[in-house]
Amino acid sequence: MRNGWSMRGAGLVASLSLIVTACGTAATPSPAASTPASVPPASAAGSPSAAAQNFAGVTVNVLTFTGPQIAEPLQRRGPDFEKLTGAKINVVTVPFSDLYQKILTDISTGTNSYQAFVFDPQWMGDFVAPGYLLDVSDRVKSDPVLKWDDIGPFFRDFSATYQGKVYTIPLDGDFHMVYYRTDILQKDGLKPPATWDDYLAIAKAEQGKDLNGDGQPDYGSCISMKRNAQAYWFIYSIGGAFIQTQGTGQGAFFNTDNMQPLVNNDAFAAALDIYKQMLKYAPPNQINLDVGDTRGLFTSGRCALSLDWGDIGPLAVDPATSKVQDKVGAIILPGSKQVLDRSSGKLVACDATTCPNAVDGINHAPYAAYGGWSGAINAKIDPKIQDAAYAFLAYMSAPEQSNTDVTIGKTGFNPYRTSQFSDTSLWVKSGMSETAAKNYLGAIQASLQSPNMILDMRIPKTQQYQQVVLDQAVAQFLAGEIDRDAAMKQITDGWNAITDQEGRDTQLAAYKASLGVQR
Amino acid sequence: MSLRRKAVAYALLIGWTIVVLFPIYWLAITSLKQPIQVDSGPVYVPFLDFKPTLDAWKYILVDLQNDTLRPYVNTVVVGVVSATVALALGSTAAYALVRFEYRPRIGVVALFIGSLALALVAMALGAPAEIAIGGSLAVFVILVQTIGRRFRRALGNSDVAFWLISQRMLPPVAVVIPIYVLFQRVHLLDTQLALIVTYVATNLPIVVWLMRDYFSTIPIELEESAAVDGASPFRIFRSIVLPVAVPGLVATFLFVLVFAWNEYLLALFLSSANAQTMPLTVAAQNATRGPQWWYMSVLIMIMIVPVIAMTIVLERYISRGLLVGAVKG
Amino acid sequence: MASSDSPARFESRGPTVPQAGLEATSRSLIRRRVGTWTSDRVARLVFIWPAISVVLFLSIFPLVVSLYLSLSRLQLTSSGIKIDFRGLVNYQSLLTGTEQSHFLGVFRTPSPLGWAIFTGVGLLAAWGLVSSVRGRTSPLGLVLRAAGALFLLAITWLFVESVFAPGGRPGALFVTIVYVFAGMGLQYLLGLGLALLVTQRLAGRRLFRIVFLLPMTITPVGIAYMFRMLTDTGKGPFVPVFDALGLQDFTWVNDPWGARIAVMIGDVWQWTPFMFIVLLAALEAQDHEIVEAAHVDGASGWQAFRYITLPAILPVTTTILLIRMIEAFKIIDLPNILTNGGPGTATESLTLEAFFDWRTLNLGRSAAVAYLLLIVVTIAAVAYVNLVRRRVTTNA
Repeated sequence: MRNGWSMRGAGLVASLSLIVTACGTAATPSPAASTPASVPPASAAGSPSAAAQNFAGVTVNVLTFTGPQIAEPLQRRGPDFEKLTGAKINVVTVPFSDLYQKILTDISTGTNSYQAFVFDPQWMGDFVAPGYLLDVSDRVKSDPVLKWDDIGPFFRDFSATYQGKVYTIPLDGDFHMVYYRTDILQKDGLKPPATWDDYLAIAKAEQGKDLNGDGQPDYGSCISMKRNAQAYWFIYSIGGAFIQTQGTGQGAFFNTDNMQPLVNNDAFAAALDIYKQMLKYAPPNQINLDVGDTRGLFTSGRCALSLDWGDIGPLAVDPATSKVQDKVGAIILPGSKQVLDRSSGKLVACDATTCPNAVDGINHAPYAAYGGWSGAINAKIDPKIQDAAYAFLAYMSAPEQSNTDVTIGKTGFNPYRTSQFSDTSLWVKSGMSETAAKNYLGAIQASLQSPNMILDMRIPKTQQYQQVVLDQAVAQFLAGEIDRDAAMKQITDGWNAITDQEGRDTQLAAYKASLGVQR
Repeated sequence: MSLRRKAVAYALLIGWTIVVLFPIYWLAITSLKQPIQVDSGPVYVPFLDFKPTLDAWKYILVDLQNDTLRPYVNTVVVGVVSATVALALGSTAAYALVRFEYRPRIGVVALFIGSLALALVAMALGAPAEIAIGGSLAVFVILVQTIGRRFRRALGNSDVAFWLISQRMLPPVAVVIPIYVLFQRVHLLDTQLALIVTYVATNLPIVVWLMRDYFSTIPIELEESAAVDGASPFRIFRSIVLPVAVPGLVATFLFVLVFAWNEYLLALFLSSANAQTMPLTVAAQNATRGPQWWYMSVLIMIMIVPVIAMTIVLERYISRGLLVGAVKG
Repeated sequence: MASSDSPARFESRGPTVPQAGLEATSRSLIRRRVGTWTSDRVARLVFIWPAISVVLFLSIFPLVVSLYLSLSRLQLTSSGIKIDFRGLVNYQSLLTGTEQSHFLGVFRTPSPLGWAIFTGVGLLAAWGLVSSVRGRTSPLGLVLRAAGALFLLAITWLFVESVFAPGGRPGALFVTIVYVFAGMGLQYLLGLGLALLVTQRLAGRRLFRIVFLLPMTITPVGIAYMFRMLTDTGKGPFVPVFDALGLQDFTWVNDPWGARIAVMIGDVWQWTPFMFIVLLAALEAQDHEIVEAAHVDGASGWQAFRYITLPAILPVTTTILLIRMIEAFKIIDLPNILTNGGPGTATESLTLEAFFDWRTLNLGRSAAVAYLLLIVVTIAAVAYVNLVRRRVTTNA
């Protein structure tokens, strides 16, 4: 019955669109579908090397958000690529906040104005199932330019992969780290935080002290807790260490047996408590700060600690944005000595069985929040353009290009390749001191090599799980509208409602597929 | 006016001037700051407590030259054209609603809605669009011709006006996807025309409502004497009514111009590479690294300059005397 | 809320009725003469149909599609979008289900003040009904008015239960209503005051006029960001002021009403010019000799305003209040950018709620919120036109 209706529904919309066509004037060619009628034959079709291919006359529209971050390197290297292969790269940008809707509207209505996207691989959950993205598994593995094996194992095997197939080409490494002021911690004889309790202790000790010499009291810790910004990621940066212990494939969001949310338990409660305590050692308006604000506060020397993606590294060395050059250290996300026992929902102490990946008895779970900007290719376009789009993305990701780009602050690209850690010279050239570069890269490397990295949620309706249900409950909890238990209940119920609506089995299969469980 | 009253009046005027200008002043000086000067607490006066820089201006106007110019031109074209067209169509409709009487029969309106529903049902059941639309149009015409005359109850001008204004009640998020599909089907996505048509349609109701009130304050004697002299309605409208209604026309024009100039959501969806307008560029300054206040300030500053210029030029038409003089003349 | 009722409206019937009668006579006059023109029929059609058809073209399709979407759920498929018809599920979840506390609010027993407000509104509605029974309202009109009064009472009850009740919390609907009426009232009074001031014969008044229009020229998104800069309690320009008042640790963003007031300040700054420009044009269009004659006859400034100026600008006043009300119900940029709806859900407006759902592809619920908004606005607008506007102008 329901099926019948849905068919009719689809028919209705389709036919409504037809009315419009009928009303419209003679079909003029869409400006977007700029497929040239005569594509010159490729000289070496099938050859994976970009340089060997001839894409003269092909135009690739790449959609991403308005930079300079991410868009800048694409725009800068587009002409180089055109000289190399003849393919014209046209970078189209829209405001960051509306990128997802824009891509989705374009593909799902069959407009197909864009041939490639540089986007958040989290969206794969929504995009892969209906077949919007091109499977590039075979291409990447046989591509000598791309050097697939050089990409960090997490990004290669989890971030770019869905159900065992590769759909995106990583251009950026994204995960959370803790940043601290080396000068302040040294002065007060404090060590960088290893657990969240350490973090709170340092924040408490520094709160209210003058940290940048302007005579004003400053803050212990600055974290973006604004609603509908980044607050829903940071809660998992904290909670992750309590929830996930057995490696990436275990997952931190749902129980892989029954798709029950891993929220209504002592681990998540502990994370919420820590999160709320952070409000005490922070700027008074912290619940209205987004990462732009906290980065500004940290680089102007007003915070002792911060929790952020890799961006603070390059921002802290730029004199236009920073007062704390060479005073910033980075470290892997703090961990926990107590972890969740999934059968009882209680916290248990770390030992060899409960925390096989623990370091010094502390379980760390670096969180690959968002997942790093990646390139993907529209599956519904001319294969010739797909080839050109792939060649361009591979060119962007190849070590020759990306190893330079990741050291440039304004590209917004963070390291994701093994070769990017071996050589500190590029980093020193970009303005870091040798020690700072080692420290920064060390923290990234420690996170990247952790087998217990948390893969961000990427199942159908991920945005509803995270941006609506989780975000709203966390915001209400922080603002005091609801208490801890109510927040956990609200998230659990909200997530279960979406899961049941979409079909529990479908969602469970998708969740397992994203974690690579069935491989 | 007594001196004391004058002083009070000036105090109020200057007070509100400060309220209006301070935020704009803040934008202006923010555009001259380095990021670090914004982030490390407030500084107020260039040269006195911070060293101004033109970096942000240079970035927007020189480094991004074409990426700034293109949306800028789009904004000007779309804003001015759509406001002009909306004003033209809307003021004639408003005049018609003031001076003529329309009595759309309820039955006919119901028949129209019924035929529309018929077409939709037919298409939902799989009939081709042309046949469904053509067929239900035919049904509509036949029904109107046969039983249409029997309907007595009719709506009036005020109902037509209310229907018009009610078209603004749905929030843009609810209409943007259907409108996107609409323009996709006629292959007008990413063109200035799509934006112009959309803004004309969304701003028309406002023009009609505002102009209706201005027209109804015009003494009818003027039109009557012209009618006696044998002038056609078109002529009366053009050479008598419009000149007298200039203050209202100017106010309304400025108003719809600003609406079209500043609209965000519809512009976001109907444009991609070629037809993007300035509000998108402003909003885009909040990306992964947080709002780039300095760039945003530059963009807002350059965006308001033409509107201010136009306001200065047009303001004098919103001044007294025109109407009174016309009545006497 | 009461501030939205401009003090003039209720007493305005006296002076306007004769004027309206006069206009009606002249209208029929011109119709008689104009009716003799051969071009009359043509003009009738040519004047109105272009406008009607443009609006028709772009309105029917979205209206129907949104209605259908609000009754369904969206899924992405390889051929595009699949729409599952689900009946009233979306509406049910908003009004009685899991989203109730978000959309309507959290309800508790009202405080004495809440009871007083509810009783006041109840008495007002009863008085209105009684007077329309006594008047010459048609039976259908009576039924509609009774339904309207019931709707008003229900909304008021939920309003006091969430706003004027300890432990209660208003949802997006009531937050929006507060924005609309508080904002509209302030904007109108400010706009009128400023327009009256700049029509005085003061030196430099043209400069003031242009300055007062400035906020209107800035894109709403830009204004929202600007206010975020200004209201920042860490790096905004008013930090020293807060510090001087000893409010270093207080910040408006942590307080629900503080945040709502911040949003309303931005809204007033942004939209006062709209009221100002429309009222200014209306004031400039009136015949000043009458006002001057009144002054010569010894009328005070207030009397001249009350009996001459006010009746002249009343039609425009009711129009801009209606337009502004319709627009204000769609408020989104300020709460979205200033606080993203926070703290918690305190500043979230209806359109913002619809936007959050829409952005995460929950188009069904987004459309349902939009349609509920449409219903509320339509009822408010119909009531406003019938009860207020028809009394002050003939072309209601």
